[in-house]
Amino acid sequence: MKDWRDLLGALGLHPGRMRTVREARPLDRASLRAGAAAEILIAVGLATALVAVLQSTSSDDAGLGSLYLLAVLFIAIRRGQLAALVTAVLGVLALNFFFIAPRHRLAIAHSQDLIELIVLLIAAVVVGRLAAVARERAAEAESRAHIAAAREREAKLVAEVASAILAGESIGAQLESIGSRVAVATSAGHARVALASVPSAAPDEITVPLHARSGNAWLYLSGDVAWDQGALERVAESLGRLIDVAVERDRVSERAAETEASRRAEVAKTAILHAISHDLRSPLTAITTAGSALAIGAVTDAERAELIEVIESESARLAKLVDDLLDLSRIESGAVAPQADWCDLHDVVASAAAHASGEHPIEFDLPGDLPFVRADAAQLERVFSNLIENAVKFSPPGAPVRISGGSSSGRVAVRVADRGTGIPRRYRSHVFEPFFRGRGQAGAGSGLGLAICRGFVEANGGRIVLQTGRDTGTSFTVSFPVARQPADADEAVTVRG
Amino acid sequence: MSATAPRVLVVDDEPQIVRGLKILLRSAGYTVEAAETKAEALVELVSRPPDALVLDLVLPDGRGVEICEEVRRWSRLPILVLSAVGDEREKVRALDAGADDYVTKPFGTDELLARLRALLRRSVDVGGSPLLNIGELVIDLSDRLVTRDGKPVHLTPIEFDLLRVLAQHQGRLVTHRQLLREVWGPEYGDETHYLRVHVAHIRAKLEPDPSRPRYLITEPGVGYRLRDPAA
Repeated sequence: MKDWRDLLGALGLHPGRMRTVREARPLDRASLRAGAAAEILIAVGLATALVAVLQSTSSDDAGLGSLYLLAVLFIAIRRGQLAALVTAVLGVLALNFFFIAPRHRLAIAHSQDLIELIVLLIAAVVVGRLAAVARERAAEAESRAHIAAAREREAKLVAEVASAILAGESIGAQLESIGSRVAVATSAGHARVALASVPSAAPDEITVPLHARSGNAWLYLSGDVAWDQGALERVAESLGRLIDVAVERDRVSERAAETEASRRAEVAKTAILHAISHDLRSPLTAITTAGSALAIGAVTDAERAELIEVIESESARLAKLVDDLLDLSRIESGAVAPQADWCDLHDVVASAAAHASGEHPIEFDLPGDLPFVRADAAQLERVFSNLIENAVKFSPPGAPVRISGGSSSGRVAVRVADRGTGIPRRYRSHVFEPFFRGRGQAGAGSGLGLAICRGFVEANGGRIVLQTGRDTGTSFTVSFPVARQPADADEAVTVRG
Repeated sequence: MSATAPRVLVVDDEPQIVRGLKILLRSAGYTVEAAETKAEALVELVSRPPDALVLDLVLPDGRGVEICEEVRRWSRLPILVLSAVGDEREKVRALDAGADDYVTKPFGTDELLARLRALLRRSVDVGGSPLLNIGELVIDLSDRLVTRDGKPVHLTPIEFDLLRVLAQHQGRLVTHRQLLREVWGPEYGDETHYLRVHVAHIRAKLEPDPSRPRYLITEPGVGYRLRDPAA
């Protein structure tokens, strides 16, 4: 094979160029034929001229006719077998006409000239045939190499897309990168892949369906696409399969994530139910036990009073718990519905403190000009009484709970701080979760207080932030954006009243 | 019951429950002590051993199970566990660790007092006759015979042993594990399906209506109890 190419290359007839010529005007058969005829005439003419020149300079003209073989060879390589045959016949006729006696007539005087012409014709036909076969083989090899290169490009593109898809991102995130890989590989100006039931190509785009089984997918290309339709369709087939894989993987991992999420939710729900049932059961048990003891009747007056006290305090505890649970369920279902009005945080905090602190000392450090906030005063009072109760519970005896506040950078904030032992780092992210009881079991509440605080604060457009350290105690800061203050002071005073 | 009032130690960290229980038990004729933590309970158990222990499973400084295990090293003191829905596993652990029975919070006080009475009765009866009377049933331990209403009941050896173990703990809960070990041997403990099959056979032979047992009561997930329907 290599020999054919060398031979043709030496003649300046590289197969690549032949393809270019052929492909440059693939459908223009008439002009192809005209070009071939012109080349044949020129080749025969040149051969005739060459023979004429050589005959005039040499005494021996035997064998000069074989120069026509060069013309046949040239045409065979350029134009194939049929053109070579025409050239051979024309060449023989020209030799006969110009150089064989009787000259300038198509007749042959000597029988040996006839033999010479016949030999030349046979030689020309054979040379033409051989050259034409060589030409075809070279072209075939070229086209095979071409196809192999095209297949290699296609395979490379598919492999790239496959490894990108296997690398793990979701199909949605992959589509763009698949498009750009296709654009690079096909030299298209732009390429994109879309999952849709019907194609929606832009006016300058061509559409290639990607036959994905998981749903319709389309490849859109614009600009000069270097690949032919067949190549695009082959690649589309593979891309469709890959998209199937990615879609299926997405589905599987989605399902796995859903399963995991629902399992966790289930675990959390069980834990919450357990906590609720325990919290409800303890006061119920105390109440029923005390009630049964009363019913037996053989109790002293002091015991009766004690049992009644148990029933009362445990009923109150139960009622508080039920209230908390209702609040929490309203918060979690988004049904808090705050009755927003102008609130003076001084009033809210003072009322909460009176309600929640008992005998424990409280230090107030709230500036007099604290801006009003728009919020539900009753809900804010619940928030601050929960925070103050908590702070009191975790304060060392006698160490005052400090309530401070201020406004800066568009927010008004109130902070409730205790001087307790702080909250261990591992619990800090959980303190606002329902039923979380981080700071010791003994004397702990239901674990709902802070969850309710956060729910109410956020429902009223505020934020609650925990700050705690080992030796610095714990503080909760509740802040709200400063709203445009009520236009006249009377309104605010009315609200205060 | 002995002449002096039996002493009961109540261990629970809910002070309000303890207050009610103390008065309830006192008015039912017991002397009552209370402890709120595992540590307090153990001190009390060693220094002034009570006649019975009423024990909550969840304590601030440990688990009721640990107290059961500790007590069983030196004492056959009756232990009644206060359990809660959701604490089933812990309850079974406590029973396997030596607790004798349980009531579930919030408990009926009649039930609590009845269980406590059954536990104290058992700890008083030691040895005694080879004939056990449970309602219409008579179980003769020495001749391995059972009669119901005077008519003999034919039991296989395994069925008899199961019934014997339950009858010896009459009125009290016997856990699956306890039954399996006493009847089949110490290497058994998890084969609760054996029990289900044999208990069904025993019921078919003993119970007037096997689908609604009156003698052989199932405690779901925990064990069985043989009780006198009239008691």
